[in-house]
Amino acid sequence: MHMRHLFAAGALAVLLAGPAQAAGEPSLDLVEPIADYKIYVSEKLQKLVADTTAFTDAVKAGDIDKAKALFAPTRMSYEAIEPIAELFSDLDASIDSRADDYEQGEKDPAFPGFHRIEYGLWEQNSTEGLAPIADKLLADVKDLDKRIADLTLPPETVVGGAAVLMEEVAATKISGEEDRYSHTDLWDFKGNFDGSRKIFDLMRPLIEEKEGEFVTKVSGNFDTVETTLAKYKAGDGYETYDKLSEDDRKVLAAAVNTLAEDLSTLRGKLGLD
Amino acid sequence: MSSKPGGCPFQASRRDLLKGLGLAAGGGLAAGFTQDHAFAAETPSHRHVTDAPVGDGDFDQRQPYLGIHQAGIVTPRPSCGMIAAFDVLAPQPEDLERLLRKLTERIAFLTQGGRTPELDPKLPPSDSGILGPEVKPDNLTITVSLGASFFDDRPWLAPLKPRKLVRMTRFPNDALDRSICHGDITLQLCANTQDTTIHALRDIVKTMSDQMVLRWKQEGNVPAIQPSADGTVQSARNFLGFRDGSANPDSEDHGLMKRIVWVGADNREPNWATGGTYQAVRIIRNFVERWDRTPLGEQERIFGRVKTTGAPLGGGESEFDVPDYAQDPDGGITPLDAHIRLANPRTPGSEENLILRRPFNYSNGVTKSGQLDQGLLFICYQADLEKGFIAVQRRLDGEPLEEYLKPVGGGYFYTLPGIIDKNDYLGSQLVQAIAENASMRSSNQE
Repeated sequence: MHMRHLFAAGALAVLLAGPAQAAGEPSLDLVEPIADYKIYVSEKLQKLVADTTAFTDAVKAGDIDKAKALFAPTRMSYEAIEPIAELFSDLDASIDSRADDYEQGEKDPAFPGFHRIEYGLWEQNSTEGLAPIADKLLADVKDLDKRIADLTLPPETVVGGAAVLMEEVAATKISGEEDRYSHTDLWDFKGNFDGSRKIFDLMRPLIEEKEGEFVTKVSGNFDTVETTLAKYKAGDGYETYDKLSEDDRKVLAAAVNTLAEDLSTLRGKLGLD
Repeated sequence: MSSKPGGCPFQASRRDLLKGLGLAAGGGLAAGFTQDHAFAAETPSHRHVTDAPVGDGDFDQRQPYLGIHQAGIVTPRPSCGMIAAFDVLAPQPEDLERLLRKLTERIAFLTQGGRTPELDPKLPPSDSGILGPEVKPDNLTITVSLGASFFDDRPWLAPLKPRKLVRMTRFPNDALDRSICHGDITLQLCANTQDTTIHALRDIVKTMSDQMVLRWKQEGNVPAIQPSADGTVQSARNFLGFRDGSANPDSEDHGLMKRIVWVGADNREPNWATGGTYQAVRIIRNFVERWDRTPLGEQERIFGRVKTTGAPLGGGESEFDVPDYAQDPDGGITPLDAHIRLANPRTPGSEENLILRRPFNYSNGVTKSGQLDQGLLFICYQADLEKGFIAVQRRLDGEPLEEYLKPVGGGYFYTLPGIIDKNDYLGSQLVQAIAENASMRSSNQE
């Protein structure tokens, strides 16, 4: 554990100790899982920086095949910690926004980040003009790493993040519109689910006794998602999104909506406002 | 709220006006304003632009949710309707029972009304809150029907599928968009106000997310009609400007409904289906710009009715006059391919094809070509889908009206029998039939 994690945990302890706590108020028990979560985020960020470096190097070297192969795995670390990354909306926009966010769509000179490079690689089968976008992406990812390192994670953001990840999938991913050029959406799903489950698993001991039925239902839905995604494993990753059967899409949609519904109560169950 | 100038009501209204403007506390401005009160007195309304409109609907109007048939079929249409189609997750019979029981519980609450449960404010609220803490029934009905896919995809259900239930297939003029077709279950939600149907839909989506995945929805409205001086109520007009529903069978005639709408012993359907009915849904786009550029005479010949009164072309004063096709065998008065003549030729035998129509007009937005996306959310019920909607539509295939129509969505569904009493639940007859089938199979294997 790095020093900065210990520091973050300490800061949180001070934050949470505050005035005398009423029943149902957040307890000091949250300190440990939040500190553990910060380690998780930090590990994901280290991997994101390393993977993005390799990815952007391939783009700049004009190695289309290598860049294509690195695209989906690189994104997974980002997807897993998206609710934290989204605390910095400027960076989230420049790293992960989609063509729809720009008036001119793909042709808009302002369209940046992963999806702009994805568009070049898959739709144009070219790395032409992508070098400055790659440089900017790597700089943004490094900036994100630095900003999060200096951040004390607000407990309600961490706990709420479990549901936020599911909301993201439910609102704009289940349709297969995230990775619309590469169709590597299932990799992103996996990142989102892993990130959400990590938070749930860290908090689980705090509610297991009082909320047994809830814990069983949520784990059951996470298991359903994992079993369903496992059917589409291919090599180190996943099949393209168009391979997902209509029946499995329904199963995933119901599980995601129900996880979003149930996990939206996790903050309250832990006494967080 | 009407307030006539002068008298007591004005006193109250001026006070409200001042209070509303934040001027009641007095001061020069308020005094100045009072001198101007003649202006306020002449204004028919003293209400603020942001005040809620005062409803003339009856929010306490309540439809029973128990009975041998579901509500929302022979129930007179309220102003707002919606069809929402879902895919269902129910791999095993017990999952189906759980879904139907839960759906029954939500229908009971939503249609009968009541207070929404209060939870710890640290948790998301139990209800969307769009109707406030007290949910008024507002004439809401929720009618549940099952699609062919619901039976086909489950081996333990397939033998119990209603005999005439099929997946809707294309008619020659259709341009079906698969994203607004079919589904395992439809809910038909109808109420006096749109907020009530939306509230009910959001409740179902929230409380049943683990088993129901929303597929598509279409909302529609029927304009309210003032009764005529003689007490008769004319049919509402569709978006082509014609009265729609004129020749609909009388839904208060129980004998007729038993013959036309409700599945009974004569229909040779599975026993569990008794008391149910077939639902046909069609989202029919109208090319309204083109229609509005069509000569009135042609419009009337296409429909077979006078546009203003709704009377048949052969004469009469209103839509309630019955056309006499026997006197017009060559179509000199009502063309043989006029919509109403094809739909109901009134020939011996054609009473077999009667259907109960329950449509709503819809207005969605603008097409890519900059035309209005409007039309009819056509819904009809019949005891025999083949002899009902399908036969009628086949007669209509190729009608001149097709130039102005494009059916784009919908599907065929089987509307479950009713919830008999408070101990019963929706579809219990089907669940029981599944159990009986299973025990028969296991005893056969022994």
